[in-house]
Amino acid sequence: MAVRTIDVRERVMAKNDEIAGQVRARLQAAQVPALNLVSSPGAGKTQLLERTLADLGSELALAVVTGDVQTQNDADRLARHTDRLVQAVVTHGACHLDARQVLTAIEAIDLAATDLLFIENVGNLVCPANWDLGEDAKVVLFSVTEGEDKPVKYPTMFERARAVVLTKLDLLPYVPFQVDRAVAFALQVNPNLEIVRTSALTPDGMASWYGFVRSLVRVGVPR
Amino acid sequence: MHELSVALEVCRMTEARVGAAGPGAVREVGLEVGDDAGVEIGNLQFCLEALLAEPPFAGARPVILRRAGDVLRLAYLEVDDGCPND
Repeated sequence: MAVRTIDVRERVMAKNDEIAGQVRARLQAAQVPALNLVSSPGAGKTQLLERTLADLGSELALAVVTGDVQTQNDADRLARHTDRLVQAVVTHGACHLDARQVLTAIEAIDLAATDLLFIENVGNLVCPANWDLGEDAKVVLFSVTEGEDKPVKYPTMFERARAVVLTKLDLLPYVPFQVDRAVAFALQVNPNLEIVRTSALTPDGMASWYGFVRSLVRVGVPR
Repeated sequence: MHELSVALEVCRMTEARVGAAGPGAVREVGLEVGDDAGVEIGNLQFCLEALLAEPPFAGARPVILRRAGDVLRLAYLEVDDGCPND
């Protein structure tokens, strides 16, 4: 039998990136900035969004797509804080969202009546770094219960992020986390990172995050 | 799990490329993987072997070619076209 070689040379992520381009085009046509929230499991993505929806929901039309390996628990939590549809994507084992899932999810969102889209990715600092979802920017949540050297352990995610949100700062009296050291590691990996400091369980702990969110809606995401 | 997603995508691309010969005719799948591609080579090899052993494939051999940088692409396919050798 004759064996022939087919020369392919096609990027494995080409299809995902093509669909991500479709997501990006739809969002840009509707002038909706989109943030892809990524972190380790338990860093506080859902808590951050709960507070954000509760506090800014009457000021801004916020849409959310949440991704989880199993359950719709996060979407159910968020739905208690907004009248808008929270789109849940259950990945059934996959450790990240992909562009096709996001494209399907935004079909049900009224983008014309949306100021900003949050995509809450699966908790994982490795795989989501490699999957473009059509977002304007990745935002890494980094909690004070983690090691300060997370940025140098997971450099790809921090290199590709626009901002780092330090979370759970109200726990600083009880943990050995050194904020300056963590920020230095983050800026060592990516000097352009914007650093936002938060504490979602204290009344005034979200001010810098809300300033960041409002600036995106007002002037868009720097590219 | 990320490697499994990559392997599934490689299988989808392979099926799309082989045309009338069919995925069962694929003998070898060549993949270029960069050192900075964020992929664990042993894990990807395992996932590809597992998927290519099952229908519609018929035991095609994955060949991973290490490269510098972050390249991750399907490089080539070797296909038995069913025709006798000249």
